[in-house]
Amino acid sequence: MANALKIISNLLSYPTKELIDAGPELHAALASDTVTGEREKAWLGALIDDLCGRDIYDAEERYVLLFDRTRAVSLHLFEHVHGESRDRGQAMVDLATMYQARGFEVDASELPDYLPLFLEYLSTQPQEEVCNLLGQTLHIISAVRQRLQKRESVYAGAFLALEVIADTKPDLEAVAQILEEPEDDPTDLGALDKIWEEEAVTFGGGADNTSCGPDRLRTQIRAAQRPAPRPELNGGH
Amino acid sequence: MSHLLDRLNFLTRKSVDTFSDGHGVTSSESRDWEETYRSRWQHDKIARSTHGVNCTGSCSWKIYVKGGIVTWETQQTDYPRTRPDLPNHEPRGCARGASYSWYMYSANRVKYPLVRSRLVKLWREARALRTPVAAWASIVEDPAKRNSYTKVRGHGGFVRSSWDEVNEIIASANAYTARKHGPDRVIGFSPIPAMSMISYAAGSRYLSLMGGVCMSFYDWYCDLPPASPMTWGEQTDVPESADWYNAGFLMLWGSNVPQTRTPDAHFYTEARYKGAKSVVVSPDYSEAAKFSDLWLHPKQGTDAALAMAMGHVILREFHLDRQVGYFEDYCRRYTDMPMLVRLVKQNGHYVPERLVRASDLARNLGEKNNPEWKTVAVDATTKNIVAPNGSVGFRWGEDGKWNLEEKNGKGSDVSLQMSFIEDGDHDSVAEVAFPYFGNREHDHFEGTDHDSVLVRAVPAKKVKLKDGDALVATVFDLFAANYGLDRGIGGANVAKGFDENVPYTPAWAEKITGVPADHIITVAREFASNAEKTNGRSMVILGAGLNHWYHMDMNYRGIMNLLIMCGCVGQSGGGWSHYVGQEKLRPQTGWQPLAFGLDWARPPRHMNSTSFFYAHTDQWRYETLSVSEILSPTAPEGPWDAALIDYNVRAERMGWLPSAPQLKSNPLDIAAAAAKAKKEPKDYVAGALKSGELTMSCEDPDDPANWPRNLFVWRSNLLGSSGKGHEYFLKHLLGTTHGVMGKDLGEEGRQANKEVVWHDDAPEGKLDLLVTLDFRMSTTCVYSDIVLPTATWYEKNDLNTSDMHPFIHPLSSAADPAWEARSDWDIFKGLAKSFSEVAPEVLGVEKDTVLVPILHDTAGEIAQPFDVKDWKSGDIDPIPGKTMPNVAVIERDYPNLYKRFTALGPLMSKVGNGGKGITWNTEHEVEALGKLSGVVTEEGVTEGMPKIETDIDASEVVLMLAPETNGEVAVKAWEALSKATGRDHTHLAIPKEDEKIRFRDIVAQPRKIISSPTWSGLESEKVCYNACYTNVHELIPWRTLTGRQQLYQDHLWMRAFGEAFCVYRPPIDTKTINAVIDAKPNGNKQVVLNFITPHQKWGIHSTYSDNLLMLTLNRGGPVVWLSETDAAKADIVDNDWVEAYNVNGALVARAVVSQRMKEGTIYMYHAQEKIVNTPGAETTGNRGGIHNSVTRAITKPTHMIGGYVQQSYGFNYYGTVGSNRDEFVIVRKMEKIDWLERPLSEKVEALT
Repeated sequence: MANALKIISNLLSYPTKELIDAGPELHAALASDTVTGEREKAWLGALIDDLCGRDIYDAEERYVLLFDRTRAVSLHLFEHVHGESRDRGQAMVDLATMYQARGFEVDASELPDYLPLFLEYLSTQPQEEVCNLLGQTLHIISAVRQRLQKRESVYAGAFLALEVIADTKPDLEAVAQILEEPEDDPTDLGALDKIWEEEAVTFGGGADNTSCGPDRLRTQIRAAQRPAPRPELNGGH
Repeated sequence: MSHLLDRLNFLTRKSVDTFSDGHGVTSSESRDWEETYRSRWQHDKIARSTHGVNCTGSCSWKIYVKGGIVTWETQQTDYPRTRPDLPNHEPRGCARGASYSWYMYSANRVKYPLVRSRLVKLWREARALRTPVAAWASIVEDPAKRNSYTKVRGHGGFVRSSWDEVNEIIASANAYTARKHGPDRVIGFSPIPAMSMISYAAGSRYLSLMGGVCMSFYDWYCDLPPASPMTWGEQTDVPESADWYNAGFLMLWGSNVPQTRTPDAHFYTEARYKGAKSVVVSPDYSEAAKFSDLWLHPKQGTDAALAMAMGHVILREFHLDRQVGYFEDYCRRYTDMPMLVRLVKQNGHYVPERLVRASDLARNLGEKNNPEWKTVAVDATTKNIVAPNGSVGFRWGEDGKWNLEEKNGKGSDVSLQMSFIEDGDHDSVAEVAFPYFGNREHDHFEGTDHDSVLVRAVPAKKVKLKDGDALVATVFDLFAANYGLDRGIGGANVAKGFDENVPYTPAWAEKITGVPADHIITVAREFASNAEKTNGRSMVILGAGLNHWYHMDMNYRGIMNLLIMCGCVGQSGGGWSHYVGQEKLRPQTGWQPLAFGLDWARPPRHMNSTSFFYAHTDQWRYETLSVSEILSPTAPEGPWDAALIDYNVRAERMGWLPSAPQLKSNPLDIAAAAAKAKKEPKDYVAGALKSGELTMSCEDPDDPANWPRNLFVWRSNLLGSSGKGHEYFLKHLLGTTHGVMGKDLGEEGRQANKEVVWHDDAPEGKLDLLVTLDFRMSTTCVYSDIVLPTATWYEKNDLNTSDMHPFIHPLSSAADPAWEARSDWDIFKGLAKSFSEVAPEVLGVEKDTVLVPILHDTAGEIAQPFDVKDWKSGDIDPIPGKTMPNVAVIERDYPNLYKRFTALGPLMSKVGNGGKGITWNTEHEVEALGKLSGVVTEEGVTEGMPKIETDIDASEVVLMLAPETNGEVAVKAWEALSKATGRDHTHLAIPKEDEKIRFRDIVAQPRKIISSPTWSGLESEKVCYNACYTNVHELIPWRTLTGRQQLYQDHLWMRAFGEAFCVYRPPIDTKTINAVIDAKPNGNKQVVLNFITPHQKWGIHSTYSDNLLMLTLNRGGPVVWLSETDAAKADIVDNDWVEAYNVNGALVARAVVSQRMKEGTIYMYHAQEKIVNTPGAETTGNRGGIHNSVTRAITKPTHMIGGYVQQSYGFNYYGTVGSNRDEFVIVRKMEKIDWLERPLSEKVEALT
C-alpha cells in the first residue's frame, strides 16, 4: 500500500541501494498519493531527489551520524519521552501489544517505537486511526522536525509532511517540554553545556528547584519519567 | 414545587452500597489507578544476570522481561547463606548497576556492524575484482588507500554493513597479516576475564587458534601489585569481603570502600558495629574517612615512608625490646627472616648480596637435587647450617619435601634461628651499607638531607663456603637494620627513640608525610597489639592508588611488612586486602583450555601489554627518566647505563619477558628454514639469533616489519579509559589527529639507545585494522575502523566471579540481542567461520614457531640462579628456556580453524590439565562433556569430540574442567599437590567430591565454589576465604625462592635498583612541565598540580558515565577536583572550564573546588571520556582529551626480571606496569570554550 506514510517510512529508513535506485517509483507513488497536498509532495519530492541523487556512502554516513548517533533526533519515539526511565520498557511492550492486536508481528530486529516501523504500521490503518495515533506522537515529530530544521537537514521535510498528514495541531506545551530536554547532540554541545551548568549552592530555604542539589535531581528524574503527553485529551482534535 | 430543600448544595451522596452485613462495599469510583500498579509489575519472565563490568561486585540482579523487552532490573536477595555469626551478603548492587538496562535501548547503543565508509568503499571496489585476501592486500599495500581511512580515525564517517561483509573483511585482513607478516601481528586486547569469561574466551580462542597474541591487562592497568609476586609468588590473592567482619583492627589505606566497593561496604559498617577499630589513610577526606576512628592524611605518594615508620615502631616494641611469642614463631616458620644472606665488600663496607644456597657449602649440604636453589639458615639447636624444606629447590625434581614442616632435607627436625644478635651467635659486627633515596631533589616532595648510603651495624657470622670464608647475616638482622633500629651494637644511622631524625623513625616520617609522629606511633602500636591478642586479626584494605606510583612496590612492601611481622597474613580477619580489578577468575584452570585453545595446541602467545604499548605507541621515544635517577648508590658494577627500553629488550632476549611481534621474520617460515638447515627448530633459532640471521622484533619496534597490524579490542575501552599515553596511541599506533606537545628524544638530540634501532622519522599509523566490539559507542569505537555490536549483559550467557564473595554467578540471556547485536561468542564463532573460508587462499596447515618466556610455576622457573648473563654480549650462549626464550613449534590448521573453535580438542585427554605447577588427568571430564553437550557427528578433524557450539556449551567446558566447580577434579588437583608436598591435602575437597556445578545450577542460584590448590585460601563452612590460609594452615610453601614470604629480594637487578629491602622512594620527576609551561599562554594564571585518577562514584571506569542518570548525579561532563587554596592561586572558581596540560597532551574539564581536596593535588576520576559534553582544548585545538591525555607510561627495570622463581613471567602475574601517579599538570582557567562544531576540514588553530 504505497501511500505517503509508506513512502515516508522508506525515506526515513537506512538508505539502501534499492531505495536510491527507486527514485522514479517513489516519485510516481507520491504523485498518486491522496493524503498529501502539493506542498507536502514538494517536501517529500525534495527528499527523494536528495537521497537518490547522492552517493550511497554519503547518504549512509549522514544517516548514521544523524539518526544512529545523535540522540536528540533519534527515530525511536520513546527516546524523547521516556529517555532512560523505566517506563520506556513498558511503553514498548504496550506498543508491541497494539501491533499484535491488529494482526502484526515485528519482523525486523528493531524496537516497536522505531518511527519507520510505526509509520509502516500506520500505512495499513484507516485514516481515522492514523490521525489518532499520529496525533499522539505529533509533539515528538514536531520537536524532532524543529531540531532537524535547525541543522538544515533535508529530512525535516518528511516530518513536516507527517505533521500535515496528522491533520491536527501538536500540543505546543508538550513540544516545548521535549525541546527543553537536554540535547546531548554531538553537533550542538554549546546548548547542552548551558543546560548542565550548575548554579551555586544556596543554603537555607528559597532555593529554586532547578538549582543544584536534590531538588534539581528530583526535577530531572521526574522529567525523565513524565508520561507521554496525550494531545487528544487536551482537545487536540 | 421547588426541590430547593431536597437538593444537597454542598455535599454529594456517595453512591455506595453494602453487602454481606456491611463487610463488603460497592462503589462506582474509577479504578483506573490500579492499572498503574498492574502494568508496573507486569512481566512474563525474570532472568538472573549481573554486570560484566570491571568492578568487583559480581552482584546478582533480577531482570524483568515482558514480550521480549527488558523493562527494568532489581537486586536479587537469594545468595546461599554463609556461616552462622556472619552478616548476609545481600543485597548487593549499586546505583550504577541499577541504571544498566538503559543501555539496551539507548540511542547510544551500537546497533549494526559499522565500518568506516572510506574503507568499505575501497573494499567493495577491490572485492568486485579480487578474491578476499587479494582484495585486502590491494588496499593496505597502497599507501594512498591505506592513509585515506587510517588518517581520519576518530573523525566520524561510519556506515552500516552486514555481518557477512564485515566478517569477510576482518578474516581477510587476519589471513593476509598471518601470511605476509606472521600471525603474531594479529593482536587482541580484552581485560579481566572474570567479569564475563566466555566472552573473553571467545576472542582469545579465535586468536590463539590462529597464533595471534592475547594481551595482558592487570599489569597494564597498574592494578597488578608486583610486590605480591615478589613476596608471595602469587599474582594477587585476598580475603573475601565477609572476612572484614572477622577483623579486630581494620586499616583502609588509600581505599575508598563505600564509593568503589559499594556492595561490600556493609561488611565494613558491620565490623565497626561489632567493635573493630578503624584507621583510614587517605590524602583527601574521602567517603571512607568518615568511618574512621583516626584519619591519617599523608602527602600523596609518601605512603611507604608512613609504613616504614610504623614498621620501625612495631619492630622496636614487639620484636626487639619485647618479643611476642606468636610473632616470633610466625616469622621463623613462614618468612625468610632466618635465611642467610652473604655480605660482600664494596667501597670499604659491606653490602648484602644474594641468599646463600646449599650449593655454596661443602658437599652441597648433602642436597643432590637443585642445591643452587635451596636457601639455608642456622638451626638454633645444633647451630649447624641447614637447608630447610620448602625452598624452590625441593619443588622441582623431587617429591615430598616441598612443605613448611620444620625439617631439613634429610628429615631431621630443625628450628631456624632468626637473629645472631646474642653474644656468641655473631662473630663480628659488620658495617653494612643501605641505600637512601629520601634525599633526592623533587620540586613538589619534601626530602631529608641524610646520606645516600647509610651504613649500619649488623651482627654477622663467619662461615666457610666453597669459594672461601664469607660473612653472612640473617634476613631478620638486615631487615631490622634497614628499618634504622639500634640493636645495642653501636653504629650510626640507627635510632633508640622514636623522636630521633633517622630514617625510618616516626619523627623522620613526619617530615616526609606530614602525619604527626604520635599518630604513627599510636596506630602502629594498636595495630600490632590487636594482632598479638588475636593471633593476627589486623587487616589492611589497600587501594590501587598506592599501586599507581612509579615506586608502588615500596608502598606495598611497606604495608606487607607490617602484616607479616605481626603474623596477620593467612589468618582469619587478617592480612592484605588489595581489591583492584576483578582479577579473581575462580575456575581459572577450567577456563584456560577454552580461552587459549590449549585443547588444540600449547603454548599460546601471550604478551605483557605495558612493554608492548610502551614500544608500539612509541612512548619510549619520549622517555625522560634516565636509569641514573633510579639506580641505587649501592649498585654493583654492571652495564646499567642504558635506556628503559634497552632493559626491556635485554629482558625479552634473556627469556624474562614475552615478545610480540616476536621475530622480524614470519614465524610461519622458521620451521622450514630450520629443516633446510637440517636443524631442530630450537637449535636453529638459537644459532640464527646468535649469528644475527634472525633478529628479535623488540630491537626495532619502528621497522614496518615489526609493527602490529591488526588489533581487536573487546570488553574494553582501551582508548577511552585504560590507554596510558592516550595521545601517543593516537599519534603512532593509529596515525590520526593527536595532542602530543612534547618533542621526541631525536628532535632534542638526546636519543642514546643501546639496544634499540632509532629511526628519525617515527611511524604514524602502525595498524592496518582496528576492530572493536561493544554495545555502546565508546571512545575506542569512535576511533575504530570496524565496530561490531555486541549483546549486552542481559542478552548473553556467560560466567562471572569476583574476589569479594565466594560465589560463581551467571550472566544469562533475558532477551535476544537487540537490533543486529550478537554475543561475543557468536561474533568470534562467526569470524572463525569466515576465516576458515578465506584462509585457504593463502594458508593451509602451517608450522608456527612460538617463542615463550621462562614461566613461573613451571620447572623452567629455576633458570638463572646467580648472575645475569646476556647472550648478546657473548657472556654465555643462547640456550632456549635457560638463557633465552623457549622455542616451540605448533601446527596451525587454518582451513579447519572453525571446526577446532567449536570442538574440545584432543590434548585434554592426551595431556590433561593443570595450573600453578601441578597437573592432573581429565579423560573422565572430557567424556562427561561429550555426553552433556553432545559430540561432533560431522566427518572431519573434530569428529567424535565434545561440541562447543553455544555460549552455554562453552560455560559447561569451564565448569566441568575446573576444580572449583567440579569436586572430582578438585580432589585430583589436591592429590597432585599432595605428591609435591608429601602431605595429604585431599581432606579439603573430599566432602565435595560428588558436587558438579552446571550452568543451569548457577542460573537458579549463585553457588559457592569448591576449595582448590589454584588458590591459597579455603572455601569452607568454618572460615571465610582468606589468602595464604593454606600456606599457614596446610604448610604448603609460598611459590617463592625460599618457599616462604620473602622480605629480602636478592636478584641482582633488585639489589642494583636498591629494592632488595623495602625503602622509601620519593615519586620520580617526569619532567613534563617545564618544556610547555610558558609555551602557550592564554593570559590566565597557572598552577602546577599532581595529577591523580581515583575510581569514581558515577561510573565503573567509563561504563555508565555516559548515562544521563549518572551524568545528572555528577556534573554532566568531565570534571576535575582541586582544593580551595590551589583554585585561589589560579583564580579558578567552582564550575569554571579549566584545561590541564603537560608535554603529553591536554584535557579540559569543569573545576570542582572542594575543601575535601589536599593542596597540591588535582583529581580527575577514572574514566571520563571525550564523547560527552567535552569542548576543544586551547593548547591542542583538539576535542578535550581524556584523563590519559596527560599521562605516559614509564617502565621499571625490576619488573622485567625473569627466570628467577617468583620473579618469572606469568600472564598478568609479573611484568612491567603502567604507573601514572607521579605525573604533574599545569592547570588554568580556559579563555575560550570552543565546541568544535565545524567540519573536520575547517580545523581550528591551537594556541602558540
